[in-house]
Amino acid sequence: MTFLALRLTSGDPVASLLAQGLASVEQADALRHQLGLDLPLLQQYLRFLTSLLSGDLGRSLYTGQPVTQIISEQLPYTAQLAAAGLAVALVLGLLLGLLATREDRQRSLPLASGVAGLATALPVAFTGILAILAAIAFRAAPTLLRGITLPALVLGFASSGAIARLVQAGLQETLSAPFMLAARARGIRRGPRLLWHALRPALPPVISLIAVEAAFLFGGTVVTENVFSRPGLGRLLVASILQGDYPIAQGLVVLSAVVYSATHVLADVFGLALDPRLRRSE
Amino acid sequence: MTRGAFAAAACTWLVLVVLGAIFAPLVAPSGPTQPIGAALAAPGGASPLGTDALGRDLWSRMLYGARTSLAGALLAASLAVCLGGVFGLAAAMHGGWVERAIAWGANAMLAIPGLLLALMLLAALGPGVGTIILAVGLGGAPGFARLSRSVFLAARQSDYVRAAHALGAGRAWVAFRHVLPNARTALFSLATTHVAWAFLGITTLTFLGLAGDPSLPEWGAMLNEGRLHLVDAPQLALWPGSAIALCVLSIQYLGGWFTRRVRQAEASRMESDERKNRS
Repeated sequence: MTFLALRLTSGDPVASLLAQGLASVEQADALRHQLGLDLPLLQQYLRFLTSLLSGDLGRSLYTGQPVTQIISEQLPYTAQLAAAGLAVALVLGLLLGLLATREDRQRSLPLASGVAGLATALPVAFTGILAILAAIAFRAAPTLLRGITLPALVLGFASSGAIARLVQAGLQETLSAPFMLAARARGIRRGPRLLWHALRPALPPVISLIAVEAAFLFGGTVVTENVFSRPGLGRLLVASILQGDYPIAQGLVVLSAVVYSATHVLADVFGLALDPRLRRSE
Repeated sequence: MTRGAFAAAACTWLVLVVLGAIFAPLVAPSGPTQPIGAALAAPGGASPLGTDALGRDLWSRMLYGARTSLAGALLAASLAVCLGGVFGLAAAMHGGWVERAIAWGANAMLAIPGLLLALMLLAALGPGVGTIILAVGLGGAPGFARLSRSVFLAARQSDYVRAAHALGAGRAWVAFRHVLPNARTALFSLATTHVAWAFLGITTLTFLGLAGDPSLPEWGAMLNEGRLHLVDAPQLALWPGSAIALCVLSIQYLGGWFTRRVRQAEASRMESDERKNRS
């Protein structure tokens, strides 16, 4: 599907090279043949699929480097940022969710849920720029500006809102469950009661949300990398779109689709491990 | 009480933005693309918010930018709502293989994250504002189809729809005469969330520099330009950034507020109906 969407509509990528005066007509024809663009579409698609299965994503139209090499060069930066962002999102989301919940009352704490609401609504681009401005205003060390701390915080904050909301909704439900009253009657203290008895049954939906968030996180890294001028896959994707370098864009889309389905499978496995009730119902 | 105050503030802000967008040529002191003086001038004097890196008046660009961002978001959201709504209605009313086919298509599209789907379309069609609107609209359609389907299904299972069927009404008649009007409040609150979402999507894509024409006044693109002058002229990023954030927050808040009000009204109506039945 990705292949068709990109190839059918992008017209002739070699033509844009021609138009920019980067190649002569003979070179263009040779390039077309080399890239297999002169073959019928179906044949092109089959070639794309077979080379995809053998791990070959083609070559960049501009530099001629293999796409897999370009992507694997940039991958660590994005993976690092996404992992750090996810960690921040989890900690912040759980914290906000716990803070927003009060055991004895139905209504949530307005401040914590307000922050969670802000987190989902504020554009990542804006929070990123606010973070940079704050760092400048407080004369933070330049290492902070260049390091991963700020981008991870910005990215994590954006994803924490949805997690907080789900944690809060789950807690609200479990808190009124009979086993909470039983725990209270057994004299278990408030802290452990909240953290162990109430939080654990509320977590599986959060885990499956994280799988969805992983996709969101990818979108977030695209913006965050551009705000902070960090290297990574997100900037690579935007640059390849702006240049019309379709093999790179195509490879990135394939990669993120794979990552996305993998996180979904992982999330299901984790969910089963965490909630025995799901195992029983099978 | 405070909720009402928030809603009023959100409403006021949105009305101001819409008015500013409509009457931009009358209110703006200068055109959005014509330089009026020194670059990066401080706020005050002829330009109330200062000038940008090319000496263009920031206040005028904000006003004209509201047009692009707002119209873009509304267009993209209506595309998503219309397209998604048609598919949702068809799936809910038809059932069977139509429903399965639509659900399959929507799930296939939802398997790819929204921003990525939009970026994919942009990669295929090339950068540009029109493409961005199309990409955001198409990206929102499957989600709206899925949500609206459940709304239509709920309306379809009500007694009056069954009564209409029993009276021999055709499927299309029931769909447009009974199901659609009764689903409209629920659809409206779904649509408001989509407008907020489209606003966020469009400004994000223009922020990434995918609008094509760099001279076009648009809040996301302006935020991106302001990013380069955070130290010497932070207002260049702060104004468009806060404007985007306030708009998204306001639309979302009003949508939520409206939904709550409708639910309350429905609950109290049901209560009074029950009381009437009992007496």
